[in-house]
Amino acid sequence: MTDVFIIVLGLVMIVFAILALYLKDLVASVIAAGVLSLFASILYLIMQAPDVAMTEAAIGAGLLTMIFLLAIKKTKQIEDPND
Amino acid sequence: MAELILNIAAIFMAIAIVLASLRLILGPSIADRAVAFDSLTIISISLIVLISLFSNRVIFLDVAMVYAILSFTGVIAIARYMEGGL
Repeated sequence: MTDVFIIVLGLVMIVFAILALYLKDLVASVIAAGVLSLFASILYLIMQAPDVAMTEAAIGAGLLTMIFLLAIKKTKQIEDPND
Repeated sequence: MAELILNIAAIFMAIAIVLASLRLILGPSIADRAVAFDSLTIISISLIVLISLFSNRVIFLDVAMVYAILSFTGVIAIARYMEGGL
């Protein structure tokens, strides 16, 4: 049960990491990175490390999304293919 | 009996994760993706509570509480960005 769950969560994390790399809209990319850290937090929890999961939840979901959105606000939202 | 109900809840939660992930992958606008992200957070909080029930450890409930307190700030930040106020 636990092994199947770990494998499925890992595959979903790989899908969202590829999505965060290849999306052209940068805000959608930031949202995909947030979902990636969310599933990483659940994975740490299954591997019996609740303190690491708590830190990952605080930094990945709260702080990282805000900092990336502030940086996108200072620059531009859509990725330019010519750059 | 309780084990059976927990297993059924886990299956429903897996279906919910698949549906919300599909909306996040396919969603054409940012608002669709933000709502999908919010529902994925809620689903994962309930998943953490379910894992705590499965493994009989009370300390996992603290992780669920911290996640519920902190995770909505990401959605708030996305909403402020879409409004133009950030």
